[in-house]
Amino acid sequence: MRIVHPMPDESTATPVRAPLVTVDRLTVDMPLGRSGSSVRIVDGVDFTIGVGERVALVGESGSGKSLTARALMRLDRLAKLSGRVDFDGIDLLKLSDRDMGKLRGSSIAMVFQDPMSFLDPLMTIGDQVAETLRIRGIGKAEARKRALAVLDELGVDRAAERLDAYPHEFSGGMRQRVVLAMALVGEPRLLIADEPTTALDVRVQDQVLDLLDDVSTRRGLAVLFITHDLGVVAGFAERVMVMYSGRIVEDGDVASVFAKPNHPYTQGLIKAVPRIDQDLNTLYAIPGAPPPPLARPSGCPFHPRCDQRFDRCGKDLPALLPVGLSRVACHLLDGKGA
Amino acid sequence: MLAFRAYSWFLSRRLGLTLLTLWGLASLVFLMIKLMPGDEAQMAAGADASAAQIEAVRERLGLDAPVIMQYLGFLGRLLRGDLGTSIVTLQPVLADLEKVLPSTLELVVIAMLLNLAVAIPAGIVAAYRQGGVFDTTSRITAVMLGGMPAFWLALVLQYVLGSVWRVVPISGQQGYGMNSPVVTGAPTLDALIAGNFAGFFDTLHHIVLPAAVLAALFATQIFRTLRAALLGVLRSDFIMAVRAKGATARHMLVRHALPNSLNPVLTLSGAQAGAMIGSAVLVETVFARQGIGAYMFNAVAQKDAFAVLGSVMFIGTVVCLVNLIVDILQLLVDPRIRAAQLGSQGQ
Repeated sequence: MRIVHPMPDESTATPVRAPLVTVDRLTVDMPLGRSGSSVRIVDGVDFTIGVGERVALVGESGSGKSLTARALMRLDRLAKLSGRVDFDGIDLLKLSDRDMGKLRGSSIAMVFQDPMSFLDPLMTIGDQVAETLRIRGIGKAEARKRALAVLDELGVDRAAERLDAYPHEFSGGMRQRVVLAMALVGEPRLLIADEPTTALDVRVQDQVLDLLDDVSTRRGLAVLFITHDLGVVAGFAERVMVMYSGRIVEDGDVASVFAKPNHPYTQGLIKAVPRIDQDLNTLYAIPGAPPPPLARPSGCPFHPRCDQRFDRCGKDLPALLPVGLSRVACHLLDGKGA
Repeated sequence: MLAFRAYSWFLSRRLGLTLLTLWGLASLVFLMIKLMPGDEAQMAAGADASAAQIEAVRERLGLDAPVIMQYLGFLGRLLRGDLGTSIVTLQPVLADLEKVLPSTLELVVIAMLLNLAVAIPAGIVAAYRQGGVFDTTSRITAVMLGGMPAFWLALVLQYVLGSVWRVVPISGQQGYGMNSPVVTGAPTLDALIAGNFAGFFDTLHHIVLPAAVLAALFATQIFRTLRAALLGVLRSDFIMAVRAKGATARHMLVRHALPNSLNPVLTLSGAQAGAMIGSAVLVETVFARQGIGAYMFNAVAQKDAFAVLGSVMFIGTVVCLVNLIVDILQLLVDPRIRAAQLGSQGQ
């Protein structure tokens, strides 16, 4: 795995890009059993993703990062969404199910964490990759040809022979390539990658990251990369957004966030990345655990775990405000904004 | 070529197992004959037979030989298709069955089709809209139908649909003057073969109600099994991946969720095919239809032991064959089972 800590300089400054996705006050509520009540997992998130931009969304399990990503495609049937998700000028949350279905796979595609469980065990690889096209009425032969081309592009060995093989006949790394091919064959403009390397062993992780890097560069593809692994972020993304307890707490370009993290949570996360030159006995961990969404503390949700908290942190919820080129939600930085 | 060899190896193994099962069943049937109270020779000769007549029958049937010889003789006769002789009709049981069986098969096949045609779509809709109005009402209906004795359901439907509303005939297999020349013994098929379309629709009209009654109990089982399996599959990750490709709900359900939920349904419907022939006894009696059910019912009523046990042997054979077919279907649906059963050559 590549753990790089780039330093900020002129060349890494974020270029100005036309926005592809603009998310405005997005909330995601999940129902609690059959009681009729629900719990707010994502609590008012806003961000943009530029055309061809690679953004990482980082957070612990339960921070709401996966549900945020799925909300962009409206994939959770049970989730109640509010706010706005503009994709290329269209508010996705207002589309009919039918129209949303047309955008899935063709404009926005997704790769998932565990390539085994995200493939249908009863369908051949070729059919599953071609399916994205077949759904859109493209003929069988043509869809198969294009599926083969994508599998070749992604380095699946002997792809032509293996179109008729089933998922259980593939190794983990090859399956992840198949899942990636399924996403890319529809030529989307935004790829959402939900922890695509977490379930893979380290060597294969690296291959898949390189592949994702190549492909997104070659195709000018915007990528929203969801991970809890900061090491992956540094090597891949241009910008990083840190989520905590359903909110974005820091958003900035990778170089400046790594060089000078503003939010105490981000500082803790970066401190917690193990380094090769470090004594194993001194591994750092942020004390405590993230609050359950039903029992968020008052004020800043991070304050019970924060080593820099003061009176105000338990009372007011900090807003996500610009600090330099970044945005940070922390009372420590109030008045330091640009 | 390799695939063909793998398949024939699988088939011969399964056929061997089926034969083994049938041998076990035959032994059980033999044991039942031996354990039945009363003297077989007396039963075969009839209640009014004299002692000399009974002894003559005993000798003719070989009942004076040692039990082990009788057992081997019984197995030998089975291999030749001899299921014994009915003491009521005085015909070989197999000949009797050949006459009544097509009618039963027709009822069971139509009931099975009806069962699957209702339960599978209902299971899909209920699972997809879990907790919705359809899900709730169909689950309540399933519990009620599943808990209702078939003969009572039959009587109620006969009364309401046949007697009050008069939309279907109450009983029988076909109307007067509607019958076609017997070719297969199954009235609907015979009518089709004869080109007698009025007769064909008449037989269908007669079979709807008994088939529905027979299907009702089984449909509730298929419905519940499929619904439960689908609920599990719909929560799985690959369903989300299919949705992320832009698939419509219909495509997702039919092409992905359903095939992945089919395994328990196939197993269950295999078991049901046998149980349906058993339930046909009741339905055929209530609706005054010909068939193996009515035949067995009469055989039991008249203590015709060989007819009963011959029929049991026959139904057992059908159940074994249906299970063999289910095994093959499961192989065709799931490549992982294929890989496990056929070895690497199968792929």
